[in-house]
Amino acid sequence: MSRTIAPDAKAMLDTRGLYDGPTIHSMNPLLLMEKIIRERIIDSMYWKEQAWGLNAATLLDRAVDLQYIGGQYANQKPTAFICLVLKMLQLNPEREILLEYLQDEDFKYLRALAAFYIRLAWPAAEVYKTLEPLMADYRKLRLRTQAGFKLTFVDEFIDDLLTKERVCDIALPRMPTRAQLEDMDELEPRESLVSDVEEDSDEEVGEEGEVGED
Amino acid sequence: MSKPKGVYDNAATGDTSFRRTWDRDEYAHKAAERQAQEAKERKERYEAKVAGKKYLPKLDANINVKEFDDSKMVEARRDRIRLDENLNKVQIVPFGSTGGRRGKGAGYYCEACDLNFTNSLEYVEHLNSKQHLQATGQTDIVERATLEMVRERLQWLKQRKRDQNRAEQFDLAKRLAERRNIEEEERIERKERKRVKKEEKRREKLKANTNSVNLDDTQDRDATTMARMMGFEGFGSTKQR
Ligand SMILES: [Zn+2]
Repeated sequence: MSRTIAPDAKAMLDTRGLYDGPTIHSMNPLLLMEKIIRERIIDSMYWKEQAWGLNAATLLDRAVDLQYIGGQYANQKPTAFICLVLKMLQLNPEREILLEYLQDEDFKYLRALAAFYIRLAWPAAEVYKTLEPLMADYRKLRLRTQAGFKLTFVDEFIDDLLTKERVCDIALPRMPTRAQLEDMDELEPRESLVSDVEEDSDEEVGEEGEVGED
Repeated sequence: MSKPKGVYDNAATGDTSFRRTWDRDEYAHKAAERQAQEAKERKERYEAKVAGKKYLPKLDANINVKEFDDSKMVEARRDRIRLDENLNKVQIVPFGSTGGRRGKGAGYYCEACDLNFTNSLEYVEHLNSKQHLQATGQTDIVERATLEMVRERLQWLKQRKRDQNRAEQFDLAKRLAERRNIEEEERIERKERKRVKKEEKRREKLKANTNSVNLDDTQDRDATTMARMMGFEGFGSTKQR
């Protein structure tokens, strides 16, 4: 891997069809985000001012300052959170670095950021194995949407990442369900305490209907 | 060579920013400081190199982010670019000064390139441009972070958070204690005033009822009231100041 990186996403996007950099899901990582939101991010002040010139270490300075998760807010303004997700797609941080972000206990928005990136970039079985343990993190998160602020929780956010198609206004890569991966022997059935609690509450949720659904 | 920090010093100043008013002495002083700092870093970097180690800026919980300067490579901005300085201010626009033009004008001025920008986005784009980076002795190459660099940065941020929390808690505890002291004092004063008033009332009543009371008794009562007012009595029930 190269010792240096570009300060922004220009070179990585201006490939004239000849992209030969690192790939995620066999594609240019930046293309994992739809064009329209990607362009809004790149045109945003946050991207130009705050995300410019970051590497995986200095990105932490921004991540620990995050006040909320979310995709777009107000008049389709991209959140700092989603800008940093795109930045991470540009940086393509190593596995160990992402785990360092994810496992830190002090900064919950850093954890949310790493979880989101891992959901976008890692193979399905790895996503389940890495993110499921975070279902035991019940800390509050603020979610900013076009309609305003909402309260959510780390475990709820992780659950969304594992079960929904769109989170934070981003279409997530298609992923087999946990049951399908178990059938394909790519995943061991869950046996943790968390999984028991999950199964119990699943039944109850069925009656109440999809509360958190849009 | 100027440091990336120079980038942030270029924000347009007050509403008379089209007049060149910078203080030469201060500029010289700043330049000297910067040179001393750079020399120190060069020395440290050289020593690290001689020792066969990678140069890492000193990690110290007490230093602020500004003092992180590990290479001539582009780094993340350490401060917010001051873009709101001229917001909501009526500005005198010199004739012919529009965005991206030579010379100072209203809006954002880049000293290094002698260019003026009317909007903040254009100004930041300029700061990111090869032209500007070249003019300020920077490159647009960013060093890729290693796991060690990430760990170090994270530890530093965690320490900073702990220090901030501790400072806040200390501050809060101090303020609460002060508040409690004030309230306690007020409470005691209120109590004393009440007691004195009650005593006076009782005394007047007594006076009215028994005009022929013996002198010693009155003196006794006076003494008791005095003692109470001075706080000699009731040490057991009220807190000492
Ligand atoms: Zn310039």
